[in-house]
Amino acid sequence: MPPSSTHHSPVLSVVEASLTAPRVPDVDWSILMARAQGGDAVAYRRLLEEIAPYVRSLAAKWCREPDQVEEIVQDTLLTIHAIRQTYDPARPFGPWLAAITRRRMADQLRRNGLRRQREGPLTREHETFPSTQANNPEDAPERRALGLAINQLPLGQRQAIELLKLREMSLKEAAVTTGMSITALKVATHRGLKALRKLLAGGEVR
Amino acid sequence: MIPTPDLIDLLAARLTPVRRLRGPMTRAAQWLLLASMVTVMLVVAHGVRPDFWQCLLDQSFVVGTAASVGTGIGAALAAFLLSLPDRSRRWALSPLPPLAVWLSMIGYQCLSNWVAFDPDGLRWGEAARCFSTLVMVSLPLALTILVMLRHSAPLRSALATLMAGLSVSAITATVLSLIHNPDASIMVLAWNLGTVAAIIGASSTIGRRFMGLAFARG
Repeated sequence: MPPSSTHHSPVLSVVEASLTAPRVPDVDWSILMARAQGGDAVAYRRLLEEIAPYVRSLAAKWCREPDQVEEIVQDTLLTIHAIRQTYDPARPFGPWLAAITRRRMADQLRRNGLRRQREGPLTREHETFPSTQANNPEDAPERRALGLAINQLPLGQRQAIELLKLREMSLKEAAVTTGMSITALKVATHRGLKALRKLLAGGEVR
Repeated sequence: MIPTPDLIDLLAARLTPVRRLRGPMTRAAQWLLLASMVTVMLVVAHGVRPDFWQCLLDQSFVVGTAASVGTGIGAALAAFLLSLPDRSRRWALSPLPPLAVWLSMIGYQCLSNWVAFDPDGLRWGEAARCFSTLVMVSLPLALTILVMLRHSAPLRSALATLMAGLSVSAITATVLSLIHNPDASIMVLAWNLGTVAAIIGASSTIGRRFMGLAFARG
């Protein structure tokens, strides 16, 4: 039998009706909860372990994401812990538990609604953003100017700038690629940057 | 998110014995007793309004006062019932019939008289004195009922808070109608329900934080 057939709210009865598990030991849970109120940690742990799958099955009816279902389960357990003094052992435990679960499910749905308002799905345009060269058309003239300026540099400096700054190689890798020594690369980069600064500031290439 | 079995371990380890809450009817009765004590104290300290005995012959005064008392009692019961997770929300309807009667008899004299012009000059009108009595009555009652209902915070029971505010309003209005000439009900309702709206608004924004506090204590 579902928790209680005497105390019906519409949502609960839907949940109850759809619950195929035949055995929900409502009376046992009442007793365990009453002991937990007295400070019996063993009874309390048993109660929480037994109700967690039941809460999970209630939550799974409303929510498909396993993460969110688990979040509802944990929120429900935390709420039960916070307001355990409000349970009256003379009343059935099932409706008390189901009502708390419903509140936490409503919270979760509200959070989902807020998230939908705030966040949009990732589209193709979003995916290209990390590679800056692919989009940001505003940068195109500057990139072109930079490309032209680099082309005006002497070969050694051009290589050093392209490998170290544009392709972001390490000094060692660049040394292997070009056959230049690390010191020579450093010097070439330094001179190259200085020349570029002059070229771009002077506006000779624009 | 920690795994659920770990959470269960944690909660079981932090279990402390709790004193079970008394039934909602008992708790409502306790609070109403406090409210009646406040009423009696104020009436004794302040004295009844000069035309009180005449008023008792006036049918509309008697019906209106009975309706506001009824609203106060009904709303208090509803607030304590609704603060529990498994009670029907229909309890919120219980104070509505007396509320309808009460509202139909409300006057608005108090609102229209904040400052009085006398031969002696400007002085505080009836409304200002009304207001100070109002705060004196409703503040302790509102604080007590909110403390008594604090366990409903994790349930975010806006309805219970609303009922509590309505109950405080009705009782305050009753007290004022016993000791003041002008009918202050509109002002009382606006003040108390405004406070309730502020509380509900605040609790929905910082509700999670309060919940966190409740867990930390628990």
